[in-house]
Amino acid sequence: MDFGFSEQQRDVQNLAREILSEQVTVEKLAQYDQYKAERFDRELWAQLSQAGLLGVAIDEQYGGMGFGFFELALLVEEAGRTIAPLPLISHLVSAALPIQQFANAEQKQRWLPGAANGEFLLTAALQEGFHSEAAAPKLSRAEADGNGLRISGEKFAVPFAKQAERILLAVQEGEGVTVVLLDPKAEGVRLQAVEATQYEPQYHLQFDQVWVAAEDILVRGEGAAAMQWIAERSRAAVCAHQLGAADKAMRMTASYTAERQQFGVPIATFQAVGHRAANCFIDVECLRLNTYQAVSLLDANQAASTEVQIAKIWAGDVGHRVSYAAQHLHGGMGIDRDYPLWRYCTWLRHNEMVLGNSAEGLASLGASIADGQAFCR
Amino acid sequence: MKIEFTAEQNALRQEFRRYFENMMNPELKAECDEALGEGGGPLWREALRQMGRDGMIGIGWPKELGGRGLSPIEQFIFVEEVMRCGYPFPFLTTESVGPQLAEFGNEWQKKEIVPKILAGECLIAIGYSEPGSGTDLASIKTTAVRDGDEWVINGQKMWTSLAHFSDYVWLACRTDPNAAKPHKGISMFMVPTSDPGWSCSPVVTLGGVRTNATYYDNIRVPQHAMVGEENAGWKLVTSQLNRERLSLVNFGPTAELFNSTVRWAQQSELPSGEKLIDVSWVQMNLAKVRAGVEALKLLCYKQAWAMTEGNLEMADASAAKVYGSEFFIETYRLLGEVLGQAALVNRRTEGADPLASRIERLYRTASIITFGGGTNEIQRDIISAAGLWMPRASR
Repeated sequence: MDFGFSEQQRDVQNLAREILSEQVTVEKLAQYDQYKAERFDRELWAQLSQAGLLGVAIDEQYGGMGFGFFELALLVEEAGRTIAPLPLISHLVSAALPIQQFANAEQKQRWLPGAANGEFLLTAALQEGFHSEAAAPKLSRAEADGNGLRISGEKFAVPFAKQAERILLAVQEGEGVTVVLLDPKAEGVRLQAVEATQYEPQYHLQFDQVWVAAEDILVRGEGAAAMQWIAERSRAAVCAHQLGAADKAMRMTASYTAERQQFGVPIATFQAVGHRAANCFIDVECLRLNTYQAVSLLDANQAASTEVQIAKIWAGDVGHRVSYAAQHLHGGMGIDRDYPLWRYCTWLRHNEMVLGNSAEGLASLGASIADGQAFCR
Repeated sequence: MKIEFTAEQNALRQEFRRYFENMMNPELKAECDEALGEGGGPLWREALRQMGRDGMIGIGWPKELGGRGLSPIEQFIFVEEVMRCGYPFPFLTTESVGPQLAEFGNEWQKKEIVPKILAGECLIAIGYSEPGSGTDLASIKTTAVRDGDEWVINGQKMWTSLAHFSDYVWLACRTDPNAAKPHKGISMFMVPTSDPGWSCSPVVTLGGVRTNATYYDNIRVPQHAMVGEENAGWKLVTSQLNRERLSLVNFGPTAELFNSTVRWAQQSELPSGEKLIDVSWVQMNLAKVRAGVEALKLLCYKQAWAMTEGNLEMADASAAKVYGSEFFIETYRLLGEVLGQAALVNRRTEGADPLASRIERLYRTASIITFGGGTNEIQRDIISAAGLWMPRASR
């Protein structure tokens, strides 16, 4: 039993915290509000690359640090704490990690060094409309064509699809699932820009009879397990991001209420205020522990479906509750766009809903329980 | 970060499990069930003495004080296993007051009381609350007045649980009515319940469990009945409460209750022929409990780990207490809904379902620890101050 961090994990956490807390300022974040500019700080991206952090979980032979998923999740948590304008989850967790895990030697050589040094972006399309089960695509199909594929279908709200060099996505091929790397510039690809609640660059993706060469096929026919692998890590990373964001929104609230005076005293001294903040503290602690448990199981390549599912349910519930407690305890300041809290609220909402919301998670967990797959150990 | 037990810890758990399974024969189980989880019967007492002989009492005490020297994580495993078997273990005596006497007690206490605790032959009740003193514990009015070599004790305590079969009350008394601050005038005494000036009357609670009002009428005790220094009792009270709080919230029994309810729902059919487990709201209720139990497990394990490392944060301990105590209530409600009307049927009814009637009772007992062991309002005050650095109003 060890709830502590290793020295290596502390190093990654401190380095990430140092860079991000210094570089992500309210002034910079304001530039991206309402899609005035593409929400991507390329200078900061280059800085993370120089510090080696983009390659934190990429093998040393491809220019990374060769650390594990836990260290990567700690980086993502810090990005959540600052709501940094960086595509860390879509690029590193949902695309680069799967390439490292499932690709052949040439594909790894082609994609990983550039992913680790930030030369180009990768992303993944994990959702189809109302359908968030990445392992079983319903709206996307592939037909064999020579040694490649022709794929048709659609994906929903793909982050950084236009900016990426390749989009990892799953299609049905016969009875199986095939995972490919789609070039967004290929003929037959249509990207429709989405204005999402948190201002991240996102696109609805449609592809009609798009040619995918053999070299861009990641897993042929047996991709359901791979997509499960990817979805679990992506979900766990969203939980880590949510943890950072919720923790920060809560601490902002604690500081604000300690300063704000009414009736001649700080409003934090009112028990009703302190207790609502204390509820946030308990919530955030539950999210923290469930997230770290899921991440550490994934890091050790152990079965973690139930634990990831539970962490995501907490991420949804805690994000929602902390967001509204923080807004409420801030009074008007919480919704004033000149004060930094509101941006956190939109990210808490995004993380709550993406890759399976709490109600979906509970239904799915309930089905595993009924199957006898989720007894307490 | 590694959230699993070592092979040695798992082996220890198996050792405890075998021991308790062996100990809980049907007669003892029946007696304990009848006592509604509080013990006190003849078989219960004999089992406790046997545990004393087998070295199963004081497992967390240092070896030099006669214990087994197990770490908090290992003690946590012990608590889970003893609770799983259904034996009402006298934690307050053995884990809460006992170690304090062993550490801070005088020669007489170390010679007369401590060995008997370890032998399972001495039981101690806690005497803090009074009719007018609960959360504001430092306001107690029960007095101990020095008279020659003795102290004369007068007053009344409330909620003195287990006192009707205990040998002593660990009693908080006011010894300096003029102290600058109320908590600086309090001393602790070991008061024998055999004294003619001691009496108690039962208070029956919603859960069916008996507690007591206890009365102290000119009880004379010698100087060696005092624990620690005169007027230095407050520290003993707070550190005892800290120890007590940690054993209030546990993961094992709730996990077992969840697993049993899942199996029950898998086996039960509705009149329509549909399996209960296939009903969508049943799955939803079970999923809510499952997600909550996971957090409970992690909070408990983290607490045990932090204690072992010696870095338990006050806010984390309070968070675990608040979360656990409130989650238990929610759990009994959600699982009770799955079990339906059966969860309203008392166990004394012929043919009552054992699982459902357990919920019937648990639902009635669940509020005790939201206010007991330091009420949750005070815990939330601690969390916002110690965990979030929010200023607190003066009281």
